[in-house]
This record gives sequence, C-alpha cells and structure tokens, in this order.
Amino acid sequence: MRNGHADQIARLIEPGRVHRSVYTDPDLFELELERIFSRAWLFVGHASQVPEPGDYITTELGRQPVIMCRHRDGSVQVLLNRCTHRGAKVVNERKGHASRLVCCYHGWAYDTDGRLVTVPVPEGCGEGFDKEAFGLARAPRVGEYRGFVFASLAAGGPSFEDHIGPMKGNIDDLVDRAPDGELALDAGMHRYVYNGNWKLQLENVLDSYHVPFGHASTVNKDGVQFARREGDSKGAAVIETKKKETAGSWRDRKSFIVGNGHGWTSNTTLDDGKRSSPAFDAYKRVLVDKVGAERANEILTPRLHNSLIYPNMSIMGLNIHVRVIKPIAVDRTEVTIYPIRLCGAPDAMNFGNIRLLNVTHSAASFVQTDDLESFVRAQKGLQSSLTDWVDISRGLGDEEPDRDLNATRGLATHEMVVRAQYKAWLGYMREAA
Amino acid sequence: MDAVVPAIDRAPFEQFLIHEAALLDARRFRDWMMLFAEDGTYWVPAVPDQQSPLNQASLFYDDRELMKTRVDRLEHPRIHVQTPPSRTAHLVGNIVVEPSDANGEFAVGSTVIMVEYRDDTQRVFAGRQQHRLRRDGEGFRIVQKRVDLINCDGAFEAMAVPI
Repeated sequence: MRNGHADQIARLIEPGRVHRSVYTDPDLFELELERIFSRAWLFVGHASQVPEPGDYITTELGRQPVIMCRHRDGSVQVLLNRCTHRGAKVVNERKGHASRLVCCYHGWAYDTDGRLVTVPVPEGCGEGFDKEAFGLARAPRVGEYRGFVFASLAAGGPSFEDHIGPMKGNIDDLVDRAPDGELALDAGMHRYVYNGNWKLQLENVLDSYHVPFGHASTVNKDGVQFARREGDSKGAAVIETKKKETAGSWRDRKSFIVGNGHGWTSNTTLDDGKRSSPAFDAYKRVLVDKVGAERANEILTPRLHNSLIYPNMSIMGLNIHVRVIKPIAVDRTEVTIYPIRLCGAPDAMNFGNIRLLNVTHSAASFVQTDDLESFVRAQKGLQSSLTDWVDISRGLGDEEPDRDLNATRGLATHEMVVRAQYKAWLGYMREAA
Repeated sequence: MDAVVPAIDRAPFEQFLIHEAALLDARRFRDWMMLFAEDGTYWVPAVPDQQSPLNQASLFYDDRELMKTRVDRLEHPRIHVQTPPSRTAHLVGNIVVEPSDANGEFAVGSTVIMVEYRDDTQRVFAGRQQHRLRRDGEGFRIVQKRVDLINCDGAFEAMAVPI
C-alpha cells in the first residue's frame, strides 16, 4: 500500500464495510499523515490559551511539531517548531511566554511571528545570507472562529469557510452558553494514550450504540447513568431494565452529517426543565440578564451530545469539553481533553463543570476508561486476518434529509456517521499530495 | 535555643498508611472508602503544584458520594477496563508527620510507589502523598488524601484503581 494508488485505496472502503488494514497497516498510516494530516484543516488550539503577546503553546499537527503563539500585533500565529538552521525543535515547553523563540542548539532567535531576528557569530554566514529567508515556516493557512484556531499545512484545498462552515452552529452552541460570549481553555487538560488506531476514537465520539454495553458499569440498577451535568439529579435513561434492552429515549437519539466527515448526535432529554442547583440557578440568572429569558432558554435547551469536526477534534455538549485526537502510530493515539470555562459564568458553575469532567473524562474517569479498553481490544481483534472486513452497515439506506438543519439524519445507534467519516477519508486518501 | 517540641510517635501513622495500602492492594475498595471521614476527599491533581481542585482538571477528585459511585463501578461485573482486574503493590515510605493543628488534624507526608500489573502490562506510579488525618477513637479517618504523581500532567493509559 506504500504507493497509495487511488484504485487500491478505494477498494478498502465499501458502502457498509471497511477493510481492517485501514486500522492496522503502517504504510497506510504514513499515507494518512501525508494526505490527511498534512493537508486537512486541523484544530490547533484556542485563542484563550495564548491571551497575551508572547504567550505560546506547542502541539503537533499529525507528527509535525508546531507553536501557536500570540504576536505583538495581536495575531495568533501557527509556526512550525523546527529551527531553519539544523532542524532542532525550538520551543520545548508545552506552554509558556517568551518575547523571542530561541533555539537551544546554536542560539538562533526568532520573533513571535517567526521572523529570524538573531544569528550568533554572524560573520560565519555566507555572502548574501538573508535572514528574511530563514524565518520559521508557518502553516500556509490559518483560520479562526470564535477563538477556535485551525490550520492547514497545505497551501491549496477547500477554504476554511468550506470546511468549517457547516459546523459553526455547533461551535456557537457551546460558546453561546458563556454569558460573555467567549470561552477559555485555561483549566488544565486531561491527556491519555491508548494502543489503538486514531480512527477508533473518532468513530466512538458519535457512537450512541455502544453506551448501554461499553458503559454498563456506569449504569445503575434502574438503568440510569450517573449525573454528568451540574444541576442534574441523575443522568440519562440508558437501559430499560424490565425488558433488558436499550431504553426507548436512547434508541430515538438522532445523528446528523453535513459532509467533510463532520457530524453530531442529538442529546437525550434529561431534565424536563427541572435542572437546578445553586450553581446552575446562579448561572442561569447571569445568562438571562445578558441575553434575555427567551434566548437563555434556547441556549440551555440541550440539542447536541457530541459534535465531530473531522479529522481531529470534537466538542461535547453534555459534560462540556473540547477533545483533540492526535495520531502517533498506526496502533497508538494520544487524546487531549480540555475543560471549558464559560466566561462570565459564576465560578461555582465552572467549577461544577470541571469537576464532573474529571469524573467522565480524566484518564481515571468512569466513562472514558471503558472506551479506551474497547479501542485497545479492537486493535487486538483486528490483527485477525481470517475476517478482513469491519462492519459499519447499521442503518445503511435509512438516511433521510433534514431540511431544517441542512443535514442528513439517521439514528444515533446506526453507523451513518462512521460511513460519512470514511467518505471524507477516501476523499483525502485517493488523491496524491 | 529552639523550643523543645515533643516528638510525635510515628508508628500509629505508619501503621495506618500501611493498612490503607493493604486494603487497596487487596481490592477492598469499599473498606478503603470507609477510612475516609464523611467530609473526606481523595484528590490526585493533573497539574504540578496544583493550587485548587476546583478550577483545574484533576485525575481524581472524589468526595464520599463520588467515591461510592467509583467503588460501585469497581465492583460491577462489567467494568471492562478491569477485565482482567489490576493487581497492585503499594510501597509507602519517607513518612513525615506534622504536629496536629488547631483542629486536631495531622498532616502526614509520604512517598508512594504503586506498581500495577494488568493484561500483560506492568507500569509504575510514583509521587508524594499528603494525608490529612483526624483522630477517631483509637484510629484515624482521612479528611483529605492528596497524591501528587511525578507525571501528573503526562498522558496516561486508562487508570481504574486509586493510587
């Protein structure tokens, strides 16, 4: 598969099934880094992580190290974290503040917009050495929407608007919950790794089929999950215990796709308007003061459970967070989960959200750990060569248009969203860079 | 000359920490939970030198109610991340006991190393732990247990059992 001929790759994806090598072939993984992660619009970070000029974070886009920093002119820069001299990674800290980015090896110093400022022992530079030509490489395209910064490492391809446009409403759904209309990702992060392919996590975020089984240990004897949101007395009904089957309200959940591999699942009604706690009630009052009762009610009516912005991030609407998926190897993936601070909300509300996210999505949480176990077991099971195909056919042909949402709709216990991800995957992978 | 501070007998504190570690290694999670006071908390920060469990992410931050949900789950027959279950060996040492404060609570610092084996993989957790202990008859109840892992901000494979 090393050459990645379009027809060879096309044979790996069929209408209701995917060849197992998509999860296990190291050569295909290298092609993914080249054709997806070096090309697609990827979530890099949030503007609130670099509030002041000189603030930076470092991360990786695919395997490529990048710096996201705030320049003096207020712009957010996405720079390749690679000295243009001999190639060393320039900034080694995960986050920090610096007026100059200085390479540890020979002291080349860059401004926070990537321009090369200082070369020590300059008389060694050849005639005509032009510092302007040795700035840090920058991501050819950067786009930002309500603080969410995305970058593409390719000069060409679909525009930011074409790619992210259909998911702006999903970002709004989260950001509008902040009384000040903005978010801050400044409450630390949860980081975990698993021995499995990156797409296993991607497929899982919009999978409502697995919950009664994968998360059986989080469901009580009445079939109800523990409360995952500030102000809820209990969680969603997952299992109809008398009939010993998935609960009706859970079976009714919907999923939606809008092209580009993106999608989301609708929420389950949890509270019938009864959501209440001192923290939630205080927050609601602040929100009503800012936007009025009608709009506040709209904002607080849950519509979304999880949204996937293909190929590397998701937004959780229930116990709110932003999740970033980073491929490391064909069978190794790192995931970062950022708690969200709703700017303008009372501290107690934000603290409640942070606390419940520990419970659901820390590396020691009640929910995410069983998902990780499923991913690891999938990677092990997929080593079997006597069954080459992975079935993703649930609900195939049952998709229907949702004209109000300008989307295609299916049941969340079906696999329409997974098929949509592979359609996008094929779009990137068939085309040589 | 420094004021003479009466020496604290470290033995009962050491015994308590060893007992706690033994309960965890025996997977007696419910008995472990009962070591905590009703208002007790168990905290494993995810940020080095974390100042507060409220405004930053934590690996664990359980009050008794959450602890009970956690223990219920650990005893659930279909907790996949514990199939097969972890086996652990805790080692507690370098114990320092501070004199009791105005509330009669003791701050006990120690170094903990936990080796965990599960599903053909062995890994090590290590860090400094702080127990805030309240006298309870002949023994103690835990008001807060805080474990600062040296890799608290690292990326972890799934963790299921308390440190």
